[in-house]
Amino acid sequence: MQYWLRRWLFTTNHKDVGLLYFFTSLYFGIVGAILALLMRTQLSIPNNALLSAIYYNQAVTMHGLIMVFWFLSPLGIAFANYFVPLQIGASDLAFPRLNAMSYWLFLSGGLLAVISFFVPGGSANAGWTTYQPLATTTFEPGVGPTLVYLGLVLLAASVTLGSVNILVSIAWLRRAGMTLSKLPMFTWFILFTIIAMLFAFPTLIAAFVLASTDRILGTVFFSTTSIQPSILWDNLFWFFGHPEVYIVLLPSFGIIANILPVFTGRPLAAKNAILVATALIVVPLSFGVWMHHMFLTGIPVSLQGAFSIATIAISIPFDVITLSFVESLIRGRVRFVTPMLFALGGVVLFIIGGIMGVFLSSPVLDRVLRGSYFVVSHFHYVMVGAAIFGIFAGIYYWLPRMTGRMYNERLGKIHFVISFVGFNILYFPMSFLFDMPRRVFTYQNIGNWAMLNGLASVGAFVFAGAQIILAANLLHTWFRGPIAPANPWASEDLEWTSSVPHITPAAEMDVSPPPGGWIGQLVGPPLAAYPALAAHSAISGTPSHSLDAAEAHAGHLSTRPIELSVGAMVFLFGAAFYPAMLSYAAMGIGGIIVVYTLIGWARDDLAEKFVVPSEPEGDRWPFSAVPKLKLGMWVFLSSEVVLFGSFLGAYIFIRAASPAWPTGIHDIPLGTLNTLVLVSSGFTMVMGLQAIRAGNQSGLLKWLAGTFVLGAIFMGVKVSEWINLGASGLTLSAAVPGWSLAASAYYVIVGLHGAHVTAGLLMMIYLMKKTSSGAYTRDSHEAIENFGLYWAFVDIVWCFVFPLFYLL
Amino acid sequence: MHTGLFSALPPTTATYDFLFNWYLFFGVGAAVVVISLLTFFMIRYRARGEADRPIHHKTEGWKIVLVTVMISLTILTVAEYQTFASFGNIEVPNDPNAVHIGVVAFQWGWNFTYPNGKYMLNNLTVPEGRTVILNITSKDVFHSFGIPFLAEKEDAIPGRVNQLWFEIPAGTQVPVDAIRCYELCGVGHAFMIANLTVVSQSSWDKWMGGG
Repeated sequence: MQYWLRRWLFTTNHKDVGLLYFFTSLYFGIVGAILALLMRTQLSIPNNALLSAIYYNQAVTMHGLIMVFWFLSPLGIAFANYFVPLQIGASDLAFPRLNAMSYWLFLSGGLLAVISFFVPGGSANAGWTTYQPLATTTFEPGVGPTLVYLGLVLLAASVTLGSVNILVSIAWLRRAGMTLSKLPMFTWFILFTIIAMLFAFPTLIAAFVLASTDRILGTVFFSTTSIQPSILWDNLFWFFGHPEVYIVLLPSFGIIANILPVFTGRPLAAKNAILVATALIVVPLSFGVWMHHMFLTGIPVSLQGAFSIATIAISIPFDVITLSFVESLIRGRVRFVTPMLFALGGVVLFIIGGIMGVFLSSPVLDRVLRGSYFVVSHFHYVMVGAAIFGIFAGIYYWLPRMTGRMYNERLGKIHFVISFVGFNILYFPMSFLFDMPRRVFTYQNIGNWAMLNGLASVGAFVFAGAQIILAANLLHTWFRGPIAPANPWASEDLEWTSSVPHITPAAEMDVSPPPGGWIGQLVGPPLAAYPALAAHSAISGTPSHSLDAAEAHAGHLSTRPIELSVGAMVFLFGAAFYPAMLSYAAMGIGGIIVVYTLIGWARDDLAEKFVVPSEPEGDRWPFSAVPKLKLGMWVFLSSEVVLFGSFLGAYIFIRAASPAWPTGIHDIPLGTLNTLVLVSSGFTMVMGLQAIRAGNQSGLLKWLAGTFVLGAIFMGVKVSEWINLGASGLTLSAAVPGWSLAASAYYVIVGLHGAHVTAGLLMMIYLMKKTSSGAYTRDSHEAIENFGLYWAFVDIVWCFVFPLFYLL
Repeated sequence: MHTGLFSALPPTTATYDFLFNWYLFFGVGAAVVVISLLTFFMIRYRARGEADRPIHHKTEGWKIVLVTVMISLTILTVAEYQTFASFGNIEVPNDPNAVHIGVVAFQWGWNFTYPNGKYMLNNLTVPEGRTVILNITSKDVFHSFGIPFLAEKEDAIPGRVNQLWFEIPAGTQVPVDAIRCYELCGVGHAFMIANLTVVSQSSWDKWMGGG
């Protein structure tokens, strides 16, 4: 296979993956922008007939989903991938293969979403908020929407893996001296973003798993009117959805906070106030304001008041951030280069959008503003204005670092001016359209609707046109730009000063342009052909790369992430078509690829084929005592808590709302016995752990085998229970009131726990194989410790599932 | 909000207008002040030469931030107070004389059921000068029932009844297509429009009684 193809498909290097994220999200951004231009063209005049309602609804839905999930958020993650390790002085992220896996899952999910346009019936059309029951097959039939929702599940999985990875990296891979007080602001804000992601996205997974099983398997979560499924969906979606707004915004704030001091020549004002306000108010409180999206759903007035106060309260830390940004200019020396212009522009747009948000925090004002173009204006000021302008600032700021070349300053300034003007022509008129419903595909000429909409459409084309300048400048920089100085902005951050070279040796698989140009590297001979450049990389201040080049070369590529992601994508693609013939074929192929990859991955590890260079002991406070993998497991399990919490919360909601429910269908003595079996397997696992801590390998093997047998018995009993329940009438299509709902909840949620147990059994096979080869010793048995955590978690979850489903 | 030139405002509209203008005044004020400051500092402290001014190296500047935050906290607290004082708009009054009308949203239209058992499609007729309470639900998907000129809106949700109220004084000019759906509900969303007709008390009584 061609060198460059192997490199880009199998890379695990954080810079490579960062660039993959960067270009892929720009691609999705173009798709989303085309959809937006279609909408603005349709709305440019009243009674326009360019797009029919169904096409418009698809455009409006997919524009939102693609822009939020596959453009804005991943663009921030692209920079996080590339620059967080550089800023903290690490040679890579904590789990390089997991990082590649995040990227490929993100792309796979996005491809499923985009493919949906080309299947009969077209794509999702129930709005990006996917309000139920509009998004059930009754009202939104077809395979396309299902593909989109499954794509979202893949995306959310990608985000969870990525969050674990970046969080552990920031906690554990800071080089010596990089104490928390010295951490650059961008890295701080990525940390905040990641924490919000970790706890928000599991709820998104839960929501779209329930929606997808409704569409594919015929569960009835959102088609049972008696339980008010709209309210169930609103709670799940907005519990995720509001933190998501900050997830999109915070990376941009991080960039602005990071580069303001660089271009004012003075320190950031009230830096610690910003950090404290964001960490202690923005992130936690973002999970406590979701009901302000539900003021009109009939929730009690007292609850509306409470959530209104919470929403007002969350604007205070944003005041702190904005005002300190403004104060940071005082007595500085403000340099008006393109990144600074975009940063300041982003702050201005955030002020406007944020103040509009204060209007929306009032339940009384919401009686006019909700569902109107005022809302559209508000969130575009925040999510396009503040978020994208900050990201653009980051692009210009770091472009010299990513390419080794300088962008064209004049083009950059023109890009800023036209973007800023076009943006305001586009979104400011919308704030006056507070009586026009959003998401209508056409409108009559009432009041000044035609004039305001026409203006907005003009602005849309101006704003979009400005991005052609950005594209031109990017291409110019990459291929023709003058060679940039090592630290063109005189920044004090490590990614500039540590002089990790633009060109790194082939062994590291970085992408950076050799003198022949980037394209030359892409299609030309491998980087190893540039020995002079490779030698150039031995620079002080970076972690040493003492690995032999050839060995590292082999060690840094992995085919597994892309294989596993493709397998998952093919499987879900098939699942969307269930029960068509094609479906079985695709699910079969996808399943085979996944199994093949998992076995391959395990074999890679048994053979220790993939080498992660060991990091020198750095600054790990406050996690110095926690091993890297264990920290990762803890972080992962905390997101799992939210995942199961969301499912169980949904179950409790359904249970409380449903007027009828089957009773006495579960074999409680058998269930209790089975619970004891699982709990004892937790006990045997602890015994195994004790054995290896004492260095007793055969003891570990015996106890692991015991745990495996108990786990297998548990699953066996489970399967027999399912067969009996199905036979006794607990089916998805049961006619007795409440039964189909109970069946849906039982099979999906208990099934999810079963899947976790099964995954544990598979892991145990691997661990037993590795134990029997003598790989674990008294001092080195991290995998066993981590599996012990996982297994204990699975046991504990069952202790919640069992009473809720069997006894209640 | 637009209403008749010489008539009294509907009470919900009056409350809304007051509150909206209050938010608007302080919102625009805050935006103008902060953006002006940013622009001023940006220009005042622009880089002229390389070493024109010694760089200010004070690391913390939290006092100014604290003061400005106290100001915005005060404004926001009063704003929240004003909102709470306007909760009459969203709390349905306990008026024994109120007219109750059922609203059932469907794909794509509104079905209004009156106290005399009659129903009308896409036309809500109410008596002037009386409290009207709408009991809103949906027979299929999530809709949102909004009357912008009365500053009232409530979601129409299957399996659930939500209430809103208003009162329209005599002589109020009602805009055409006063009622719209404000939540995407399928391909007919743009056309989910209804008319609001206000009739005198006497013709209302006649219609109610006359059958």
